[in-house]
Amino acid sequence: MGSRQITEKALTMLRSLPRVSLGNIRDNPGYKKNPKRGRGQHGGDKHGAGNKGSGQRQNYMRLGYETGNNPFYLRMPHEHYYKGHHLRRQYPPFSLHELQLIIDKDRLDISKPIDIASIVKSGMYNFTPDEKHFGINLTDVGADCFAAKINIEVQWASEQVIAAIEKMGGVITTAYYDPHSLYLLRDPKKFFESGQSIPRRMIPPPDAIEYYTSAKSRGYLADPEEISKDRLRLAQKYGYELHVLEDDPNYEMLCERKDPRQIFYGLEPGWVINLKDQCILKPKDSELQRFFAS
Amino acid sequence: MATVWRSQSAFARIFAGKSGLILNNTADLGAKLNPASISTLKKHYSNYAHSPFVRKIQEQYEFEIIKNPPEWEYVQRLLPFESIPKITPKAAYPSGWIPQKEEASNLPYFIERNKNQDLSIYLDISYRGMRKISKIKKIEGDIWLMNDDVKDFLKKRYKRYIETRVHELGKFIEVKGDYVNALNEWAYSKGF
Amino acid sequence: MTSILIKALKSIYISVPSQNAKFATSAICSNTLSITNKEWKYPPTFTKPREVWIENLDTIEEKKLGLFELHPTVYGATPRIDIIHRNVIWQRKYRWVSWAHTKTRAEVRGGGRKPWPQKGLGKARHGSIRSPLFRGGGVIHGPRAGNTHFFMLPFHLRLYGLTSTLSAKLAQDDLHVVKDLDIPSDNSEYLAELILSRNWGPSVLIVDDTDYAPRNITVATGNLPHVNLMPVYGLNVYSMLKHDTLILTQSAAEKIEDRILQLLHSDTRKQQAKFKLDQV
Repeated sequence: MGSRQITEKALTMLRSLPRVSLGNIRDNPGYKKNPKRGRGQHGGDKHGAGNKGSGQRQNYMRLGYETGNNPFYLRMPHEHYYKGHHLRRQYPPFSLHELQLIIDKDRLDISKPIDIASIVKSGMYNFTPDEKHFGINLTDVGADCFAAKINIEVQWASEQVIAAIEKMGGVITTAYYDPHSLYLLRDPKKFFESGQSIPRRMIPPPDAIEYYTSAKSRGYLADPEEISKDRLRLAQKYGYELHVLEDDPNYEMLCERKDPRQIFYGLEPGWVINLKDQCILKPKDSELQRFFAS
Repeated sequence: MATVWRSQSAFARIFAGKSGLILNNTADLGAKLNPASISTLKKHYSNYAHSPFVRKIQEQYEFEIIKNPPEWEYVQRLLPFESIPKITPKAAYPSGWIPQKEEASNLPYFIERNKNQDLSIYLDISYRGMRKISKIKKIEGDIWLMNDDVKDFLKKRYKRYIETRVHELGKFIEVKGDYVNALNEWAYSKGF
Repeated sequence: MTSILIKALKSIYISVPSQNAKFATSAICSNTLSITNKEWKYPPTFTKPREVWIENLDTIEEKKLGLFELHPTVYGATPRIDIIHRNVIWQRKYRWVSWAHTKTRAEVRGGGRKPWPQKGLGKARHGSIRSPLFRGGGVIHGPRAGNTHFFMLPFHLRLYGLTSTLSAKLAQDDLHVVKDLDIPSDNSEYLAELILSRNWGPSVLIVDDTDYAPRNITVATGNLPHVNLMPVYGLNVYSMLKHDTLILTQSAAEKIEDRILQLLHSDTRKQQAKFKLDQV
């Protein structure tokens, strides 16, 4: 009993006690709360819930609803930015600090290009395409401490984030994925096991075209010439020396991009992945090839 | 026409007047199904249960099966980790997070990391933010000595007495107030 | 009279094997001890690994064949009796469908007619003789058949239930590791004598890593209702507590350890998700 090890002490105590069996175990006292309330001092009362209605029935109305009044948030007709808020694309945030953290913890391999699949695989980020989540918004929290040279593809990024990544000699692309592709990226194993052929990635909807074709946001549909011009512009604006990608030893990795129709790195649309036999089925039929190439 | 069908099958009776709606089925309704006709003619059966088994399916499209393809590396990259990867020591950790040090286990007490390799120090906020309690969990070894050390550290730092509570069987220490950052710093300095 | 006899018998039963056990521990054959240094996949950090003897089953008297290390996270965890208890409750409840049934006033036979007129008799007004107020009437809020008590214990409570029970068993000397399950004869008397001489308590649960046990032990345990065989995948808290002693083969002990450690060191969001009936 002289031990000051907690577990050791507990286990030594057990040695001198009767055998732990079905008959002599019990839960901690106070574990179970009686759901009923007795007839005490306020036994016949309403238990603080008031009489009838919302209070008693625990009927919480949706946020902003004013029981039939024209709600406050709709009274100002000029607040047009609320229009269609429930239909808009959402990008759940992921900060540069968190990105650095998963790199430090070896959850992310920075010798390979990073995309949403590898970030979700790390277990530190999750999103639900059915809640209109369209991927990662890389935020600038921790931009000062970020120190990794990476080739990353996210769905939304601000100028500061782009600058923070390019300052370290890295490359960032913003790319659009339709919800169906995002399901595949979230759980590729489940998709491969389903035995379906990898579909094509869809093009962005009209209101997203501008973002994904502009060089300023490093869109995946932007002109590479424009992007390299903008890299220089951003370096001058934020005052850092731009790394020359061509001289980099990891030039090939840094230049690896997906095709606008491609969902996974290195795997083309139309292929079927067989995880059990470790083989890939590639379509030979010209009709199929034409379909997946379009 | 309708009367003839009604006599032949009960199923047809339902659709007798609506043959225009079910174009594919109209030819089948009166005719009896014999296997020969199934194999030769392409038919559409209205009911899954009544349609015969398909014997031989000719694959519509041809696929080239490649075993051990060079692209398999890309597939492996996508598969989930079997277990959380081990941390390889690095020169610097820019995120501010520090892995557990070897020498930490030489102390008389110990704080175990969780499986994400984070320190198990948490802030418990209750009573609508009125009560804040910092909690050090997963303690092993001499918890009372650790309690003294933690108290000393906080007293030196904040120049006042800070209340703590030790739960030996639960293996945790609770510190009254929000001292999570200070406790993290202390734990990192000890190597936990 | 009989109680005195029983007491006397009990004292004999207790005293004799303990002498045997003492004898066995003193006679360790030191030459052939195999002490293996384990390659830990998840090395124990602060707590020391727990050491157990590897025993044999092929002779009645105990031989110590080697020394074996077990991971403290699995075999030396804090024995949380409350978690063990919740596991037992869960195992009792998830398979329990209660068939207790009572009839409502609509289901009890008869009672369609108004027993007496509403007015004029000076009696209380009633519409049916099967009303809950009547003797032989229906029951209000009584139990209805087919009531399932299924629920799922959170994943990590199930895991810690296993580690707590294994640790408690090991701490109380109720867990023994044997090299293999080879016994010289298929006679159940041999096994009964072995269990008695080693003071393993009457009921014994033997766990192997495969579900094909050797023939001799299968036949020998066939006649003994209190000695049971189980593969590793069937290991559970309830059975471990129901039997006095738990016998693990060396490979089974390793397999349990590997499996639990692997689950404790991997991403278990899928296992932790809310249980759905169609998920399996």
